[in-house]
Amino acid sequence: MFYFRGCGRWVAASFTKQQFPLARLSSDSAAPRTPHFDVIVIGGGHAGTEAATAAARCGSRTLLLTHRVDTIGQMSCNPSFGGIGKGHLMREVDALDGLCSRICDQSGVHYKVLNRRKGPAVWGLRAQIDRKLYKQNMQKEILNTPLLTVQEGAVEDLILTEPEPEHIGKCRVSGVVLVDGSTVYAESVILTTGTFLRGMIVIGLETHPAGRLGDQPSIGLAQTLEKLGFVVGRLKTGTPPRIAKESINFSILNKHTPDNPSIPFSFTNETVWIKPEDQLPCYLTHTNPKVDEIVLKNLHLNSHVKETTRGPRYCPSIESKVLRFPNRLHQVWLEPEGMDSDLIYPQGLSMTLPAELQEKMITCIRGLEKAKVIQPGYGVQYDYLDPRQITPSLETHLVQRLFFAGQINGTTGYEEAAAQTESCSVARLECSDMISWVQEILLPQPSLVAGTAGMHHNTQLIFAFLGVIAGINASLRVSRKPPFVVSRTEGYIGVLIDDLTTLGTSEPYRMFTSRVEFRLSLRPDNADSRLTLRGYKDAGCVSQQRYERACWMKSSLEEGISVLKSIEFSSSKWKNLIPEASISTSRSLPVRALDVLKYEEVDMDSLAKAVPEPLKKYTKCRELAERLKIEATYESVLFHQLQEIKEVQQDEALQLPKDLDYLTIRDVSLSHEVREKLHFSRPQTIGAASRIPGVTPAAIINLLRFVKTTQRRQAAMNESSKTDQYLCDADRLQEREL
Amino acid sequence: MENEGLKTSPRCNLHCPVPSSVLSSVPYSYCQPRCARTLKIWSHVARGTTFRYTYLHSASRSLSPLHQPMEARIFRLWAGRILRLCTRRSSGAPAPGSGATIFALSSGQGRCGIAVIRTSGPASGHALRILTAPRDLPPARHASLRLLSDPRSGEPLDRALVLWFPGPQSFTGEDCVEFHVHGGPAVVSGVLQALGSVPGLRPAEAGEFTRRAFANGKLNLTEVEGLADLIHAETEAQRRQALRQLDGELGHLCRGWAETLTKALAHVEAYIDFGEDDNLEEGVLEQADIEVRALEVALGAHLRDARRGQRLRSGAHVVVTGPPNAGKSSLVNLLSRKPVSIVSPEPGTTRDVLETPVDLAGFPVLLSDTAGLREGVGPVEQEGVRRARESCNFLATVVASVGAQSPSDSSQRLLLVLNKSDLLSPEGPGPGPDLPPHLLLSCLTGEGLDGFLEALRKELAAVCGDPSTDPPLLTRARHQHHLQGCLDALGHYKQSKDLALAAEALRVARGHLTRLTGGGGTEEILDIIFRDFCVGK
Repeated sequence: MFYFRGCGRWVAASFTKQQFPLARLSSDSAAPRTPHFDVIVIGGGHAGTEAATAAARCGSRTLLLTHRVDTIGQMSCNPSFGGIGKGHLMREVDALDGLCSRICDQSGVHYKVLNRRKGPAVWGLRAQIDRKLYKQNMQKEILNTPLLTVQEGAVEDLILTEPEPEHIGKCRVSGVVLVDGSTVYAESVILTTGTFLRGMIVIGLETHPAGRLGDQPSIGLAQTLEKLGFVVGRLKTGTPPRIAKESINFSILNKHTPDNPSIPFSFTNETVWIKPEDQLPCYLTHTNPKVDEIVLKNLHLNSHVKETTRGPRYCPSIESKVLRFPNRLHQVWLEPEGMDSDLIYPQGLSMTLPAELQEKMITCIRGLEKAKVIQPGYGVQYDYLDPRQITPSLETHLVQRLFFAGQINGTTGYEEAAAQTESCSVARLECSDMISWVQEILLPQPSLVAGTAGMHHNTQLIFAFLGVIAGINASLRVSRKPPFVVSRTEGYIGVLIDDLTTLGTSEPYRMFTSRVEFRLSLRPDNADSRLTLRGYKDAGCVSQQRYERACWMKSSLEEGISVLKSIEFSSSKWKNLIPEASISTSRSLPVRALDVLKYEEVDMDSLAKAVPEPLKKYTKCRELAERLKIEATYESVLFHQLQEIKEVQQDEALQLPKDLDYLTIRDVSLSHEVREKLHFSRPQTIGAASRIPGVTPAAIINLLRFVKTTQRRQAAMNESSKTDQYLCDADRLQEREL
Repeated sequence: MENEGLKTSPRCNLHCPVPSSVLSSVPYSYCQPRCARTLKIWSHVARGTTFRYTYLHSASRSLSPLHQPMEARIFRLWAGRILRLCTRRSSGAPAPGSGATIFALSSGQGRCGIAVIRTSGPASGHALRILTAPRDLPPARHASLRLLSDPRSGEPLDRALVLWFPGPQSFTGEDCVEFHVHGGPAVVSGVLQALGSVPGLRPAEAGEFTRRAFANGKLNLTEVEGLADLIHAETEAQRRQALRQLDGELGHLCRGWAETLTKALAHVEAYIDFGEDDNLEEGVLEQADIEVRALEVALGAHLRDARRGQRLRSGAHVVVTGPPNAGKSSLVNLLSRKPVSIVSPEPGTTRDVLETPVDLAGFPVLLSDTAGLREGVGPVEQEGVRRARESCNFLATVVASVGAQSPSDSSQRLLLVLNKSDLLSPEGPGPGPDLPPHLLLSCLTGEGLDGFLEALRKELAAVCGDPSTDPPLLTRARHQHHLQGCLDALGHYKQSKDLALAAEALRVARGHLTRLTGGGGTEEILDIIFRDFCVGK
């Protein structure tokens, strides 16, 4: 499925600086040698770029294989990053030194913090991104990453070898075969592409394959994965039409200006590149009863919607909104696609009606009366690999050293199709080309590829994060270090990966803050304290500079909090010092400065004015002052959450052996159903096992008892005969005397 | 209504139409935990032997008939823990954190000379000091006699043996304290309440002690190997226990509150997650506020009421039921050895459910006298009959039914007693041969009483020997603790200006309620959000 052109053309930048990767290819070596890398990343989308750079940051010689270097950094349909819950993920990517947050800050055209009034724990950092700038900046970054080589090429197959006996898995991946027959060897391989995609585009009653039908050779990889026994599911989603900017009457619409000042995504940035006053506005309009009418009258022309019986619980398209919540006005956000783009993205208008009806519907909407649809919206159905087949470190259960990032959750894969599909990419660059592409799409021509698709804007982020984790773990696997797993108690990414890998997904996964148990502890402001230090120590993916900054911030915060706790005055004295605060003077006990800081009207500045010594120094760094205020706000609750977190971590510490064959183990009474569930999800801890629906408490206890007994016996046996090899042999587990 | 269910035995001089539907609807439930057998083990404790699980284990194994309930209990503890694990994901459940200090009545409920109350956690020493003030901590691992008093009122509670086990050399590996108090319900409940008032202490969840011991390497699961089969039965028993705790009005109330709270929380969560990206209708928060306020009022009223009015449901429930004028009240009076009910030769004398706590063969029993089951004459008696039926539905564990009847296929424990055996002519024919197993008794002459008591004792032993029920004292303490916790959290909700904090307060409040009712996952919240709001794009 890889589109390749000029396969074998090495495009690596900066390899002159490095001693490793290409030295092995050099012609002066005695025999023709196959290139050998630590990590190969297949696919150059969000997940691929994050994975490749993360692996390279961890010190692995990394090869990024993509079908075309000039599509690296191509954004999927919705040119925005962040949002409520998703902004947290952005911060966490950045805390691990991931790319996308930094690149966004260089390319954002509309910054806005959502939920401003609802408390800093649920602030949603969000930005509209300029596609062109993002792509330029991303390519610059990728091609300048040390240890990273980028090659254009399509992967035909995986090279599989004997498994390592101490790990589970049928076999081990040791490299890839390219379409031209050449081979590249590597210690770990990360798959981030839509190999399995089988995407279908749906407009009205027509369906078109989104992918390359005639491209026989690329099926090899898909077939290999299928043969290995990976389970595939099918999901659907959609994208809105694109509207020509000049055809919209903005003057009658509700204008939303960006925040001033902009809050950058990255901890390392004080400001963003494009100044708030230069940023672009968004506009808000609403649907009306006429829209409902068009949808309801034409349901028979809408095969995508007809089939949405098992669609997501939320409303992904305007059709589902109208059907499930009739007689309401639904929001439509008109978002810019870039500084010099002529396109507007009408968020909230995903639809799969026939193209002519789409235009009819859009012109019913206020402000869009004369709107010109440049590209119709459409639905997409596609395959995804069931995420329960991977571990929390994103390695597959079946194939050792093979990592998945991307397409393992619903909406993935899509975007890869966009990046892989040449005609589409070209079409996206130029508006005129896009028009022709759209026309092509409407006429069924299998030879032409339609891969671009509408992802939820959070999905690219989810990829990006999975990419970072996969990259880190692929690299750690090479150096035989323990995997880097983020738990539910450490970050939104932990919640995301745990939800996906233990529960799977039946609808495109969306990140909500309500999914997070420890929401008040896992905030956008403290992502660096949570992850940067761990990323530096356990994974080595964080730069020294960032690490030092995070350390300084952490120690300053701790110091600041203890100073604030130590300052105590009577409430009446506080009242005199800070008259604007509504401090009640009824309490006779002395009040700590930290408690005063909890009042909405008080911030570090006013506190420092009242008590200049020793508080003044904490106002010098704006970020520090703001974070102290946030810590004070949540102080009382955080103490209790810490206790709970400890308890959850205890459950997570009860590890289950990775090589347990749930289907065949004897001496433990588990129902067949439970065995299958455990076999499929392969939980790593008792905590994770207990979260799998259908695994009963009795089963958990049985399992725990069994594992304990086995461990003890195993220890005894190891003691008696340490050379007893077959003990370690996972394949012969069943024959073992249990 | 039960006319079709009537069955009379023509040869029996007691014509007893017994509606079988009433009897078959009586649920089979456990009531009473451990009894005398566990006392034996505690007596070791009383003599100052260190209370260690391993010790108990071997002791119980050597006493083979005794070992089952003990070990079953260990498993139940685990099952409870894991059950909660499986239902975790509810956010903000009140912390069973390793940092919290827990307390529980460790010995059984009921008549025992000594009751053992244990605490585990960092605040144990503090709690001991507070309860035994002004004296300091006793020497570690030595039994010392101390006067326990309520820290709030200073009222003396009991003279008790206290043992102080500083961690890690303790059962759980944490700081532990044992109070060996006199076994009366008042003392036990007083000490439990006093402990509950110490900041940082909360009632233990089922299995928490064992879990902590396991987490701290004090307990190896293989020690309870071989009991896997019990677990299915145990989880089932636990489910029943939860049902029992929550049957009746209180359970209904709790579930209703939990539902309201879940909905309010879902709406607040929706407002946080979708308020700005998607358009929610106006007034989502205001609606939630109104619901929370109403809930607060209801909870507050209930809690104030509960302290006075909630009858302690201690002991097995024995309901005496049967046709009018069969002599039910006479039997109750006979069993309780005092005139509880008015007796008269007139049918329909008892018109209400009369409950009296009695001691039957060493088991604490709540004996209920009911109105005779017949189509009542007046509205008062009809109400009495309705209550009698209800009491069978909810309370009955052992039904001592006076009169002939067909016990049908019901699974509840049933003891069929035929009264007025003195009226049978000695040489005449006995009761019908087609009657199920029954006992003959004469309340008037006392004939057959010994046999009846022996049969009743067997029934009670079968019921009370079940280890799966929590002592009602503790159950009540738990209810109160969680309802109060819920109420406090709702107070925080009102005060919070920061919406994230307010939502957290609701999460905590819901966590408290779902500890009582079960359930409480995140998906429930998401389901409500997606059902009630048009979100997503």
